[in-house]
Amino acid sequence: MSMFTQAGIVLATMLAVYVAARLFRLSTELGMLAAAIGGALVGGFGLPARHIAEGAATYLDINLIFVTATLFMNLLKESGGVAFVVRAILQRFHRSRVLMLVLLTILLLVPGALTGAGSVTVLVTGSLVAVVLHYMGIPKHKAAALVFVNACLSAAAPPVSLWAMMTAAGVNMPYVGFFWPLLLPCLAAGLLTSFILGWKGERTDAIKALAELPVPPAGMNWLRVLLPFAVFFGLVWMGRQFPHSTPIIGLPMMFAAAAFASYLLSPVRLEFFRISRETIDQLLPLLATLTVAGILVQIMTLTGARGLLAVTAVTLPVAVVYATLFLVLPASEAVLMWGAAPVIGVPLVLLFNARGLDPIVALAGMSLIWPLGDALPPTAIIGRLTVEIVGFKGAYGRFLRACLVPAIVIIVIGTLMVIYSKKLGFLTGL
Amino acid sequence: MTTRLLAQKIVVAALGLALFVSAGISFHRSRNLAEPVVLGPGVTSVKKLGEYFAAIRGTVNDCNLYFMEGREPGGTMLVLGGSHAEEPAGRLAAWLFVENGTVEKGRVIVALSANRSASTMTRLGGAYPPDFTIDTPSGPRMFRMGDRWTNPLDQWPDPEVFIHYPSGQELAYVDIRNLNRTWPGRPNGTFTEKTAFAFMEMIRREKVDVAIDLHEAELQYPVISTIVTHQRGQELATMVSMMLTDNEDFKIGTEFSPLTLHGLSHREIGDHSPAISLLFEAPEPFLDATRGITSREQLLTGKDEFVVKAGRHGLLFEEIDEKGWPIAVRVGRHTSSILQVAETWSEDNPAKPLAISGVPRYAEVIEKGVGAFLQDVTKAGKDRLAYE
Repeated sequence: MSMFTQAGIVLATMLAVYVAARLFRLSTELGMLAAAIGGALVGGFGLPARHIAEGAATYLDINLIFVTATLFMNLLKESGGVAFVVRAILQRFHRSRVLMLVLLTILLLVPGALTGAGSVTVLVTGSLVAVVLHYMGIPKHKAAALVFVNACLSAAAPPVSLWAMMTAAGVNMPYVGFFWPLLLPCLAAGLLTSFILGWKGERTDAIKALAELPVPPAGMNWLRVLLPFAVFFGLVWMGRQFPHSTPIIGLPMMFAAAAFASYLLSPVRLEFFRISRETIDQLLPLLATLTVAGILVQIMTLTGARGLLAVTAVTLPVAVVYATLFLVLPASEAVLMWGAAPVIGVPLVLLFNARGLDPIVALAGMSLIWPLGDALPPTAIIGRLTVEIVGFKGAYGRFLRACLVPAIVIIVIGTLMVIYSKKLGFLTGL
Repeated sequence: MTTRLLAQKIVVAALGLALFVSAGISFHRSRNLAEPVVLGPGVTSVKKLGEYFAAIRGTVNDCNLYFMEGREPGGTMLVLGGSHAEEPAGRLAAWLFVENGTVEKGRVIVALSANRSASTMTRLGGAYPPDFTIDTPSGPRMFRMGDRWTNPLDQWPDPEVFIHYPSGQELAYVDIRNLNRTWPGRPNGTFTEKTAFAFMEMIRREKVDVAIDLHEAELQYPVISTIVTHQRGQELATMVSMMLTDNEDFKIGTEFSPLTLHGLSHREIGDHSPAISLLFEAPEPFLDATRGITSREQLLTGKDEFVVKAGRHGLLFEEIDEKGWPIAVRVGRHTSSILQVAETWSEDNPAKPLAISGVPRYAEVIEKGVGAFLQDVTKAGKDRLAYE
C-alpha cells in the first residue's frame, strides 16, 4: 500500500470518527481525542500512550500563559479596575461618539491581546462595554457582533496570538517579527468594525449607563489599574534590556507577577482562591482544546495524515489557496478551534514560504481570519458566549448577519496581507 | 454526585493513570537508555566535559570526550556529534571514529552527545520514535533518538525572546535551548550556554586546530549537502568540497558562515578561539514538514513518497527519489568529509599533520552498512567500554 493510500485512509477515519463523535454529542475536545485514537488504531500504531502524553504536553507553555494572563485579567475585573476604566471613559467622553467608539475598541482589544483568548475579552470587558453600547442606542444584536468581532481581533492581536504561535512552532519559525503585522491590521479592523456597527445610534445616555454599570470600590484609581500592567511590561523590558543579567522567568511568571500586583493593589480584599478556581473553570474548555489539539497533531504526524495535508497544500496552485482562504480558515477553526493552526496553518505557511512570500506577514494575515470561525457551528463557543454575555435573546442567525460586513472587511484585509506579504515584509522589522 | 457520574470519573481517572504510567515508563527508558561505546584501538583516554568547566560536572551534559592520541605529534581535530540529537547520522559518524579509528599523527577528540540533554527526549508534537536500532554482525545496537533542543526538564522556562550572548542578536525564544545557537556560551548563563562555554574552554585549552560540527537538515532547508565554514576555513573547506566531489560518489558544496549570523558553531568557535570551525550538513528527509509516516523505518531509510512529491514540484533544495537517503549514505558522507578534512589539513599544515586510519569512507559504509563498523559489545573488556 502506498504512503498516500495509507495516510488517506487514516485521515478519512479521523474525519469519520470526529463526525460520529459529534453526532453522539461528545464535546469538540472529546471528538478530537476520539479522532486521534481512531487514526492511531487504523494507522497500525495501537494505543500509543507515549505519543498521546507527548502530544498533550505540546502546548503546555501556552496553556500556562493562558491561565496566568486570564487570572491577571480576572483579578483586575474583580478589584473593580475594569469598571473604573469603563466608567471613566463614559464620564469623560460620552459627548463624542468617535472617541467613545475608539476607546471602547481599545478596551475590547487589550484582554484578548494579552491572553490570546477572545473569550477573556468577552468575559472581562465585553459585558461592561455592552452596557455602554446599549446606552449609545446600538441594538443588542449589533452590540453582540461588535463585541464578538473585536474579541476575535483581540485574540489575533499581539503579544499573544495563539494561531501565529502554534503555526510558527510547527514550521520551526521563531515567533519574532509578528508584533506590527498583527497589531496594525487588528487595530484598523477593530476600529472599522466598531464604526460600521456602532456609528448609527442615539446620543449616549451617560446617566442611565452609569447607573447600570457596577460602581468600583472607593479608592480605585488609575495608579491601581495601570501599575500591574507596568509590572508586566517592565519585566518584559528588563528581559530585553538586560538579557544577560536578568533571571529568565518566562511569560507565565510575568503574567503571574502582574496578577499578584493587581491583587495587592486592589482596594478591596479579593478572594484569591475563589477567583483562581473560577478562572480555571472558565478556561477549562480552552485548555482542553489546546491539550487535545496537541494530541491530534502528534497522531496526525505519526500516521502521515499531517504530511498528506501538508504535501497536498504545498503542491496546490497558490491562486486556489488565496481564493479559498476565506472559507478554509474559519471553517477549520469552527471544527478544530486552535487545532486548525498546526493542522491547516503549517502546510499553508510552507506553501507561502516555498512560493517566495513573507511567511510572517502571510501568517499574520491568516491569524486575522481564523478567529472568525469562533462564531460558526459546530463549536461556536465564543459566538454563543458573546450573545449570552451581551444579553441578546433573538435568533443566533441575526447575530451572525450583523457580523457579516465586518467579517468581510477582515477577510479582505487578511487575504491581501497574504497576497502582498512580501511587499509588507518591512512590517516585521527583520 | 450521582453513582453514574462517580463511575464515569473513576473510569476516566483509571484510564488517565494507565496512560500516565505507560507513557512514563517509556519516557524514563528514553532518558536513561545507556548506549554502549566500544573503545576502538585509537582511543587513548576518555575525559568528561566537566573537567573543563566545573558548572557542567555531574550534570546530564557532562558528556564523554574520547581522546585519540596519535603516535606522532600533529594537529588537533574536534568532532562534535549530537549537537542536535534528532540528527542521528552525525552521532553515528562520530561513533564510527571512536569504535574504529586509529590516529597515527596528531590528535582527534570526539563527542558523541554534545548536547546529551537533547538526546533524552523527543520533540513535542513531532511524533519521533524514542529510539532506533542498527543491526550489526553481533546483534542489534539501540540508540536514543533525541530532539533539537535541550530537554525542558534540564532548562526551563524559555524567555520571551532569546538575546544571544555576546552579540545581542535576537533569536527565537526556544533557541535558548539550542546548543547550535548558544555558542560561544557564557559561564553564568543558561544550562545550554554553560555547555557551549565548557566546549569553548576545552577547545581553547586543548588547542584545537579544526572543529567539525556534524548535522543533518531537512530537504526544504537551503543549507544542505554542504560544508559551512568560518572565513578562516574557506580554503580548507573549498578544497575538501572539490576533492570529495571529484573522488567520491557524492556532491558537497561550500558555504561561508555569515558574519552577522550569531550563535552557530561555524561562526562562534572560529571567532572565539584559534580553531577553524566547520559544520557539515547531510540530507535527512525525516525532518521535513511534508514527511509521511513518522517511523524508525523512515528515519533510517530516508524513503518518503510525500517528500519525493514535494521535490517534483521544485520545493526542495536537495534531490530525492524512491531510494531515499539511507542512514549509511548520510553517515558515509560525514566520515568521508571528516577524513578529507584531515588529509587536506595535513597537506596545508605539514607541521601539524593529522593522519587517521581504520575509519570507513563513504563507499565502504554504503557497501557494508553502518552496523558492520559497530563493534561487538560482548567481546569488549570492561575497560574498553563506555556509555553514552
